[in-house]
Amino acid sequence: MNVNDYLIVATIIFCIGALGVLIRKNLITIFLSLELMFNAANLGFVAVSEYLNLISGDIFVIFIMVVAAAEAAILLGIAIAFYREKGTINIDDANELKF
Amino acid sequence: MLDLTQMYSEYFLEKSLLSVMPEAVLIIFAFIILLLGLFKSIKNGENSYYIALIGIVFSFLYLFILSNHTIHGFYGSIIFDKFDVFFFTVILLSGFLTILLSKNYFDTRNVLIPEYYSLVLFSISAMMLLVSSINLIMIFLSIEFMSIAAYILTGYLKGESRSTEGAMKYFILGTFASAFFLFGSVFIYAATGHLNLYKIHNFIFQQSYKAHYIYNSHTFLAIGLVLLLVGLAFKMSLFPFHTWTPDSYDGAPTPVTNLMATGIKVAAFGIFIRVFTSIYSFNILNFYNILWILAVLTMTFGNFAALLQTDLKRLIAYSSIAQAGYILIGIIAGGYYGISGTLFYLLAYIFMTAGAFGIVIMFENLKLASVDIKSYYGFGFKYPLTAAAFSFFLLSLAGIPVTSGFMGKFFVFSAAIKSGYYWLVFIAILNSAFAAYYYIKIIVKMYMVDNQSNNNSIADVINDSNVTVNNGQMEIIKENHVTSALVIVIILCLIFTLILGVFPQPFINFAAKSVTSLWNI
Repeated sequence: MNVNDYLIVATIIFCIGALGVLIRKNLITIFLSLELMFNAANLGFVAVSEYLNLISGDIFVIFIMVVAAAEAAILLGIAIAFYREKGTINIDDANELKF
Repeated sequence: MLDLTQMYSEYFLEKSLLSVMPEAVLIIFAFIILLLGLFKSIKNGENSYYIALIGIVFSFLYLFILSNHTIHGFYGSIIFDKFDVFFFTVILLSGFLTILLSKNYFDTRNVLIPEYYSLVLFSISAMMLLVSSINLIMIFLSIEFMSIAAYILTGYLKGESRSTEGAMKYFILGTFASAFFLFGSVFIYAATGHLNLYKIHNFIFQQSYKAHYIYNSHTFLAIGLVLLLVGLAFKMSLFPFHTWTPDSYDGAPTPVTNLMATGIKVAAFGIFIRVFTSIYSFNILNFYNILWILAVLTMTFGNFAALLQTDLKRLIAYSSIAQAGYILIGIIAGGYYGISGTLFYLLAYIFMTAGAFGIVIMFENLKLASVDIKSYYGFGFKYPLTAAAFSFFLLSLAGIPVTSGFMGKFFVFSAAIKSGYYWLVFIAILNSAFAAYYYIKIIVKMYMVDNQSNNNSIADVINDSNVTVNNGQMEIIKENHVTSALVIVIILCLIFTLILGVFPQPFINFAAKSVTSLWNI
């Protein structure tokens, strides 16, 4: 498999994630889509790093995983706060701040 | 690639630690605040406030000690140079003003807990790390560190749905932007094999697209640079990527809004200048034209949207989007004059914005609610000094002479004319004239609308509170609406806005001296 194929797969995953963020209404699903985008970048880094025989891409992947974990903690906190106020985690109910 | 000889060098650790000393001091103080939070009762935020201020002062001290050195640290991920000295000064000043503003704001609401100040310190240290990082890993980590602290701070007002909603929108769009940044990094890495900005720069410079690299690396590089630009433009709140800005600025507690509008924006522009002067400098895909369009759209949209706002905080949020457009002009103009003009504008910008937010906090404390534009009709008669200060900040934001905003615009626009961007400057000047309308409209309303005809004005609320002293809530409002910290912020901002407008020479020299280190790596 060529490294280009890996990058094409990564791009497809990234686009699926981006579409998920734009289309989905559930806060948790949106976060999963964001994770998908992050992991598309992970896949790309691992593939390129392996192909070029370098190590810095692999290091980047580990940092991305750590950051994704930290963000999960923050998002769940926000989701719980949002649920307490609105009784739902549908983002259509986040409609107090408008143009 | 790791340089093993550097790793075993005797001074490696020492130099690395020195290169992040101002940030490390802030992080240490942030942890001290967290630890002390264990021993104090929860409502006691007094100590953490002073510790945070001391932390900022110590960080300034280290910055001053190190200010003449250029230090590379952590295998070339971090650099401390003159450029950082300028940005650290601006970011620390913005943090200092934010902490002073916070005291008054949270005292009035009785929600102060020590974690707030430690989060502010973490966020400031991350901004400083961001500006001094020259490696894509380090840039990503700093952006996330800064943003995660800012997400929590935005949603800090517990039980207020606006605050939570602002945090949620900020989180989703901020993380979305980070994903774009990451995916851009993948393509740049695929095209060049480097993550260090200057190594990428050298690689592109040599145009050495060797056979063992991926054959279509030029396309990859272009894709990567575009995605990277999208990720950074989110943080700078440029036009198509600005949508989180008004909502999270509006929902956040006002001191946090001040931190986001000054510190985070300054840090985002700092790293953008670093990235732009290195890896975007080859004009692949005509990035100057892309930025030209972004700047015009950002200015125009920000000003038109600000015109329609009735909420003061949202108005300043939209006007800060427009200001980002003006700042971008300096970067497009580029070179020594353009970048130093941009730096001067950023310095001027934090003072006028912090001053305006100080006054917004004063308004908010009077009403303990969101600030509608109608509520300060006739304010100028009851509180002449406050109204005069507010007018001065608004005039500075509009760019009237004698204020810092005018000098900032002057430097940026003249640099753009020197580089031949006549149309850009023409559109920007039209925009400033247009923006002056909604700034001056507020001043007109403060001074020229009769407050007798409007029962909802703040001046009347104050009158009411004087009459009903026995009413407990009103008494609190009367006591707390102005404290010494708030007055200090407003006076500091006034002085600097005036000095930067009248004697800009030492400050522009400071900016110009710091810019030279950008190209001397």
